[in-house]
Amino acid sequence: MEYLTVNTLSVESGTCTRPSKLWEDFARAGCGRSRPGKTRAFSDAGEGETGDSRRLLRTTGQMTGLRGPSHGRDCRPATTGWWAGVLASLMLPLLGTGCGQTAAASYRLNLVESAKQQLKPEQEQQVANILAALFGTPDEPFAPAECGLDEAKLKLAAGPVRSDIVGRKNGLYREHCAHCHGVTGDGMGPTAAFLNPYPRDYRPGVFKFKSTERADKPTHADLVMVLRNGLAGSSMPSFALLSDAKIESLAEYVKYLSMRGEVELALMRAFFELDDEDQGKLPEDRDFLIDEIVMPVAESWQAAEDALIDVPEMPADIDMAASIAKGKELFYGNKANCVKCHGVTGLGDGQVNDYDDWNKVVVQAYKTVEGSLEQAGETSTWNMDADEAAEHRAELAWLDRYQRVLDGNALPPRTIRPRNLREGVYRGGMRPLDLYYRIHAGINGAPMPAAKGTVPPEDIWHIVNYIRSLPYDFNGTLGVDRPMMARDRL
Amino acid sequence: MTRQRISVAKEFPTMQRICSGVIGFGSADTAWRRGRRLSVAGSLVVAFVASGCGTGMVAGPAPDYEVARALREKLSSATEGGDAKEESPQGTGWATLKGRFVFVGTPGAAKALVVDKDTQVCSKDGMKLYDRSLIVDESTKGLANVVLFLRNSSRVKNEVSTDPLVFDQKNCEFLTPVFAGRVGQPVDVKNSDPIGHNTNIAGASFNQLIPAGDSTIFTPGRETGLPVTVTCNIHPWMKAYAVFREDGYVAVTAADGSFTIPDLPAGEPLEFQVWHERSTGRSGAVSLERPELKWNAKGRFRIELKENEVKDLGVLEVSADAIRG
Repeated sequence: MEYLTVNTLSVESGTCTRPSKLWEDFARAGCGRSRPGKTRAFSDAGEGETGDSRRLLRTTGQMTGLRGPSHGRDCRPATTGWWAGVLASLMLPLLGTGCGQTAAASYRLNLVESAKQQLKPEQEQQVANILAALFGTPDEPFAPAECGLDEAKLKLAAGPVRSDIVGRKNGLYREHCAHCHGVTGDGMGPTAAFLNPYPRDYRPGVFKFKSTERADKPTHADLVMVLRNGLAGSSMPSFALLSDAKIESLAEYVKYLSMRGEVELALMRAFFELDDEDQGKLPEDRDFLIDEIVMPVAESWQAAEDALIDVPEMPADIDMAASIAKGKELFYGNKANCVKCHGVTGLGDGQVNDYDDWNKVVVQAYKTVEGSLEQAGETSTWNMDADEAAEHRAELAWLDRYQRVLDGNALPPRTIRPRNLREGVYRGGMRPLDLYYRIHAGINGAPMPAAKGTVPPEDIWHIVNYIRSLPYDFNGTLGVDRPMMARDRL
Repeated sequence: MTRQRISVAKEFPTMQRICSGVIGFGSADTAWRRGRRLSVAGSLVVAFVASGCGTGMVAGPAPDYEVARALREKLSSATEGGDAKEESPQGTGWATLKGRFVFVGTPGAAKALVVDKDTQVCSKDGMKLYDRSLIVDESTKGLANVVLFLRNSSRVKNEVSTDPLVFDQKNCEFLTPVFAGRVGQPVDVKNSDPIGHNTNIAGASFNQLIPAGDSTIFTPGRETGLPVTVTCNIHPWMKAYAVFREDGYVAVTAADGSFTIPDLPAGEPLEFQVWHERSTGRSGAVSLERPELKWNAKGRFRIELKENEVKDLGVLEVSADAIRG
């Protein structure tokens, strides 16, 4: 009884009326009587048709080692009845919490973008409906054929954690990823706020560590590599203990969430492009939804496999000392300019008041809200006519919601931290090749610019060699001239 | 609008279970242990409240699955083409549109920017950099850097040129505060400073180092819609806007506020988008009171030009209502 009450209370009121219904079903099917909400419904259940189910319950109870409370009230007349009641009251919360009792998981709408675009409630509703049509739900993912996603892989990753065949587990994304990256892939899982850096928000479709040119998507292999190796220096762990098939399916699911998020952004931005004749409603035909919205996203992912960075091999007979010296010159020079952000010490203490693209969205949104509120505060309302007054109120209502969305649906913005190059810890991998990719293409989404085009490949290799030497950059006596003292020295 | 609290249950069922478990623990326990357990439970509750059990998350609408299912069926059954699109009427010949934007009111003094890096170049000889979001010509009152572009071109007269446009930076400032280009036409991104810069074009995933005195080519691959920001991450005060259009029918007003867009398709309805950085309208849309042009709140006006016509819209007055002074 206690447990039932507790469970019923804990489920958000209004959203979940199932406990009592479940109770009824259970009572009707198993015990022949229906008295919702009372443990006694079981304790005074009659004999006959209910016997089997009670035995079954008792067996289950013994198997699982469950015990009834010693202070059970009104448990007579039959002890079997008492046991059934106790077991049922113990099992109900378990059923309640574990077997589909909580509301089905749903995707969160990108309200930061929707507030930015000033979408009306019915427009948000339309976006939610279109997204459900195109991409399904977290439990039943779906993707238009144009996306080229493997449905079997998605199924393995999606849904609640469960096992249908012994030894095979489904719901991998929620088991391994969702607590940080969120069910929606918005980087807003429950633990996100405690992590630094924040978990990646897949929705803009921008990924940092990849083998493709800056503007291009990562390849499938890039995502698999991040999953397998983790990202050193961040909270992203290695999932190398998972089987290849599981990692494959998670990588596919990340692509799915990312495509979904990009489509969502495209839909929300499309409202501004509507003509007056559309009356604020997006067209719901193939021409628009598939050809104009989904296709560009899907194609950009498919093009990634052909956008690999062409890396010329580092000359085998390179004079390493000379190369490092050259790299140092480039690091501090006006050509590569690494020093501006990574600092004269290489400790990553140069430009530190900038934001990455994800945080910048929030920073700029706050600026818009603050600027507009200030402006609205200066507006005199006394001589407004009815229309102007209504418009003014609508503006204030929008700003109020925008502010609440930013406070509640976005993480507090954080400035960038250019990598401390003295530690030898590199997010995207420590192979010389990885460092080459980072310097050549920059880091998409981060302020780190691309050296491609203005710094020739051999110079990029020199910088790679210099950077790799930085953690071991002693030119004095150990203890006196250690890297950690570099700032004082300079 | 009421403030709704979204439960973690929807987004993250396991968390909901833990949360309810914690609350359940405290209340279901016997009295003699309650005190100690409650404090444990309480601290856990506090932790969860902080982490998202009870944050003021604004809830969006839940999808209507019936509507969604019907739409999915419609999309999967529809063959290529789908709903027939009505052909917009096409005219013949070409025409020119011109006009001049004028700011009515007193623009406030431009704010000086905080220049705290590379001061030997960026603040050379006491030079100061100013915010350029509102540039009004003193004598003509002309409003510079208003962007106009055609939204619906049915045909295009000129091929995309392969001659690069120049986008330069000098004295730690982009020389073009608002830059207009065409998709497919190369842009020579230059750096005429003795120090290194990087040029970061939002949305285009273009962010490249431009060493001192060097340049690199950027070829825009897709339209921008409204202008996007161009920044230098090394010198955060540096800011410009860029707009790239597929058809090249785009203009940025000159110092005297004037603009000319030649070779527009004549004999058919045209719709233009107008944008300015300091607009009070949504996303920078500039809307004026010009009913004859059907100028709307999204900063768009409509016009139809006759063949070989040079249409002058005259003086377009922008008040402090439309643009923050």
